[in-house]
Amino acid sequence: MWPGEVGEFMSETAVDSAPVAKADERIVHRGPLQRWLVSPEIGALIGAVIVWSFFWGNARTFGEADSTLNWLDVAAPLGIMAVAIALLMIGGEFDLSAGVMTGATAILIGLMATYFGGEGIHIGWSIGAAFLAAGAVGWFNGFMVNRTGLPSFIVTLATFFVLRGVMLVMSKRLAGKVQVADILEQDGAKTLKGWIAHEWMFTEFKGRDFLFLALVLLGGAAFAYGLLEQSFIRRQGVSLVDLALSLAGLAAAAVGFTALNRTDGVGANVLWGLVMAAGAVLLAVSTSRARWKPRSTRLTDPVPRGVLVRVGVGLLGITLACLTPIPLDRSVDVPVLTWVSSGLRPIVAVVAAAVGVFLAVRASVPAIRARSLRGEVPRLLFFAPYCGLTLMVSVLSFFQLSTVQGLRAMAMLALAAGGVVLLMSARGLAGRSSTGWQAVIGLSTAVAILVLALVIRADAGAVRFRTGLFTAMCIGATLIAINTLLELSMEKRRNSDPKADRLGKRLQFAGFTLAATGMIIRVVWSNLTPENAEKVKAAGGTVGQNVLRQPVLWWALVAAIGAFVLTKTKWGNWIFAVGGNQDAARAIGVPVEKVKIGLFVVVSLCGCLAGTLIALRYGTVQANQGTGLEFEYIIAAVVGGCLMTGGYGSVIGACLGAAIMAMSTNGVQSTGWNSDGRFAFLGVVLLLAVLVNNYTRKKAQEAR
Amino acid sequence: MSSQPILELRGISKYFGNVTALEGISTTVEAGKVTCVLGDNGAGKSTFIKILSGVHQPSAGEFLMDGRPVNFISPREARSAGIATVFQDLAMAPLMSVWRNFFLGSEPTKGIGPVKWFDSAFAKRTAKEEMAKMGIDVRDVDQPVGTLSGGERQSVAIARAVYFGARVLILDEPTSALGVKQAGVVLKYTRMAAERGLGVIFITHNPNHAFPVGDRFLLLNRGRSLGDFAKDEISRVELSRLMAGGAELEAIEHELGIG
Repeated sequence: MWPGEVGEFMSETAVDSAPVAKADERIVHRGPLQRWLVSPEIGALIGAVIVWSFFWGNARTFGEADSTLNWLDVAAPLGIMAVAIALLMIGGEFDLSAGVMTGATAILIGLMATYFGGEGIHIGWSIGAAFLAAGAVGWFNGFMVNRTGLPSFIVTLATFFVLRGVMLVMSKRLAGKVQVADILEQDGAKTLKGWIAHEWMFTEFKGRDFLFLALVLLGGAAFAYGLLEQSFIRRQGVSLVDLALSLAGLAAAAVGFTALNRTDGVGANVLWGLVMAAGAVLLAVSTSRARWKPRSTRLTDPVPRGVLVRVGVGLLGITLACLTPIPLDRSVDVPVLTWVSSGLRPIVAVVAAAVGVFLAVRASVPAIRARSLRGEVPRLLFFAPYCGLTLMVSVLSFFQLSTVQGLRAMAMLALAAGGVVLLMSARGLAGRSSTGWQAVIGLSTAVAILVLALVIRADAGAVRFRTGLFTAMCIGATLIAINTLLELSMEKRRNSDPKADRLGKRLQFAGFTLAATGMIIRVVWSNLTPENAEKVKAAGGTVGQNVLRQPVLWWALVAAIGAFVLTKTKWGNWIFAVGGNQDAARAIGVPVEKVKIGLFVVVSLCGCLAGTLIALRYGTVQANQGTGLEFEYIIAAVVGGCLMTGGYGSVIGACLGAAIMAMSTNGVQSTGWNSDGRFAFLGVVLLLAVLVNNYTRKKAQEAR
Repeated sequence: MSSQPILELRGISKYFGNVTALEGISTTVEAGKVTCVLGDNGAGKSTFIKILSGVHQPSAGEFLMDGRPVNFISPREARSAGIATVFQDLAMAPLMSVWRNFFLGSEPTKGIGPVKWFDSAFAKRTAKEEMAKMGIDVRDVDQPVGTLSGGERQSVAIARAVYFGARVLILDEPTSALGVKQAGVVLKYTRMAAERGLGVIFITHNPNHAFPVGDRFLLLNRGRSLGDFAKDEISRVELSRLMAGGAELEAIEHELGIG
C-alpha cells in the first residue's frame, strides 16, 4: 500500500468517526420460510417425509397407529443414543464404544442381578452400579482424548474392544454362556420395569378422530398465522370489508367441514370439499388484507423468458400423468417385458441402444470441435458401443424387474412430480418480474394438482390413495392457491420487526404443539371398539394392539433436554465452539477439557440408559448386543445434519435421523420385502440426506 | 485522558536459554492512544505480545500497570486485569453465528433457580448494538462468522474485546492478511477503539498501516529497540526507512523511482 491510499484512510477515519448504522440495501430481508429452509435439520425432515410417504404408499399397515408405535419403539434406544452422539459430534469427537456400551451395560445389569453374591443382588442396585461404571468409562474416554491428544476414533475403538472382551469373558464365566436370560424373573425386576420401561395398552377412544382433526386444524391455523405475522407489514386501522369477507370465508369453511363429515357420497364430498377449500382461501386472504398492508399490482408486465416453456412442459407432464392409467392397467401384475407384445421388444432394445450411442457421441462433440475427429475416433469406437450396450441392458432389466403396476405408479409419480416442480419453478421465475403472471401460474398449478387428485381418486386401487393422498393433494392445492394470492395482494416485509417476529415465533410454536398433540392422540389410541374390531377382522383386515412403551418417552425427554442444552444454554455454546475451533475456544476461556469429558460421560450414561431399557424390555440380553450399532448412531446424527468435522448440527435432526432409520427397518418388513433390503435403502437415504444438508448449508452461507 | 499511561514498560528483556528474544524494550501505552509496535519478521514482536498478554513473563525489566508493577503469570490473569488480545486467528468458530461468537466464554444467562439459560435476546441485541457503536451494521447477527469478510471478522473481535471491559487492546497483525480496502476498514476500527478510551497496541510490519493510526511507535529489530517515538518526533518516510534497514530501502526506492 502506498502513501496516497493511506491518506484516504485518514480522511475516512475523520469523516466516519461518528457511528452510523444504516440499512444495507444489498441485503434482502429473509422471510420466515427462507430462514427455516437453511436450518441444519431440513435434510432429515425432507428425508423423513419422503421415507414415511414411500412406505405409507407401499405397505398396507404402515402409518396406522399400532405400526407407528412399533417403529417408535425401535427408534427409541437408537434415538436416545443419536441425541448423545450428535452432541459429541458437534463437540468434534466420535465414540465408537457407544454401541457396545448399550450391550455391555445391559449384560452387566443382568449378570449382577442374576449371579452376583450367589443369587444376584437387587436389580435397582445393579442398575445404579451400571450407571456408575458407564460414567467412569465415559470419563476415561474423555480423559484419554484430552490427555494424549489422540483422535477419539482410536481411543474409543480401544474402549470398544476392551468392553466387548470383558463382557464376553464375564458372561461366559458367570452365566456359562454368551447370554444372560431371565432378568425379569429377578427380585424387583417387574416392579422396576413398571417404573422405567412401562408398557401402556391403549384401546379405543371415540373422540380420537374428531380431537385429532380439531387440534391439527387449529395448530395449522396458528402456525400459518405465525408465518404471516413474520412476513407482512402491519396496517393502520382495520378494513371492515375485509373483516366481513374473512368471516364469510370462515363460515364457508366451517359449513364445508361439517357437511363433509356428514355426507358419504362422492359427488357431495367433492362439492363440500370445494366449498371448504374456497372458504379457506377467502379466510386467509381477507384476514391478511384486514390486518396487514395490501398492495396494488399491475397485471400487465411482460412474461420473463423461459417461463412459458416451463409452464408448457409442466402442464404437459401433469396431463400425461393423468393419462397414464389409459395404456397401463393397474391390475396387470406381470413384468413389463412380458406385457409388451413380442414384436415390440426388439424395437425397445434398439431404441435404448441408439439413445446410448447418441448420448456418447454428443458428449464428445465439443472435443471433436476443439481438436480433430481423428483423436476422438478410438474413444468413440469403444465408448459409444459401451454406452449403447449399458443403456440397453439397463432398460431391458428394468422392464424385466418392474411390473406394469410398478411402471404405472412410477410413471405417474415422476410425471406428476416433475410437472408440479416445473410449474412451481416457473412461478418463482415469473415472480421476479411479473406478479401478475406469478399469480396466473400459481393458480393454474393449484387447479392442475386438483385435477390430478381427482384422477387419482377415480383411478387408484388402494383406499389410502383414494382418501389419504386425495385429501393431502387437495390441501396442498389450497395452500398453493392461498400462497399465490397472498404474494399477489400483500406487501412483503423487507426488514425485521422484532415484536412481530417474536409473536410469529410463539404462534408457530403453539401451532406446532397443538398439531403434535393431535398427532400423538391419533397415534396412541385406536378408534376400534371391540365390535368394530370384529368387523375389520371379518373383512380380512388386521387389528394391531396399541402399545406405547416408556422408552419412547425417555427418548423424548433426552431429546428435549439435549435440544435445550445445545441451543439455549452456555454449555451448548461451548459445545459448538469446542467442535468449531478448539484453540479459539480455549483462548477465550472455554473449559475445553471439561466440555469434552462431559460429552463423553453423557454418551456413556445415555448408553447405559438404553442398555437398561433393553434389559428390562426383553429380559434376555445377548453378549454381542449393540455391537455395530455405533455406526447407526453416527449415521442418524449425520443424516440429521451433523458435520463430521464438528461444530455444526442439531439434536432434532439426529432424532429425525433415528426415526428415518427405524421407519426403514419397520417399513421394509411391513412391505413384505426381504428385511435385509433395508441396508440398501438406508445407504441411499444416507447419501441423499447428506447431499441435501450440504446443499442447504452452502445456500445458507451464500444467501447472506 | 489521564496523563498517567495505563501500561509502562521499562527495559523489558526476555531470554530463552542463551537466545536473547528481547533486550531492553521500553514504551508506554496511554488511554485513548495507539502505540504501534513495528518490526520485520523475527524482530521479537510475538515475544513482546506474549509478555504483554501474560503468556510469557519478562526475564528482566519493569512492567507497570497504572503505575504499579505487575507480573501476570497466565493469560487469564492479564485478561482479568483488562488486557485483551485479538490474535490473528481471531478466536472465533466460523460456523457459529455472530452473537454466539460475541459472547463465547462469557455467556449472559438468566433463569429460575438452578436452571439457567443463555439470554439469547440480550446477546443478539447487545452484539448488534456494540457493533453499531463501532460503526458496523451487522445485517443479521444470526449469520455465521465464516460468512463475514476478514475486516468484519476483525471488527467483531475488537468490538467483543471492548464490550468485555478491555482497557488495553492488543491487535496482533490485524491487517496482514487483508486487502487494501479491508485493511483500511480495520485501521478505522482501531482508531475508533482508541477514541472510546482504550489503550491500543497495534502490531504490524507495515509502516504505511502504522503511521496513519499510531500516536507512538516502537521499532524492534532482532530483539532490540530501534527507538520509541511519539508521532511528532518521526515522519512516515523515516519510519519506513528505519523499519527496512534504512539506506538499503532508500536505494531500492531510488532505483524504482518511487519515494
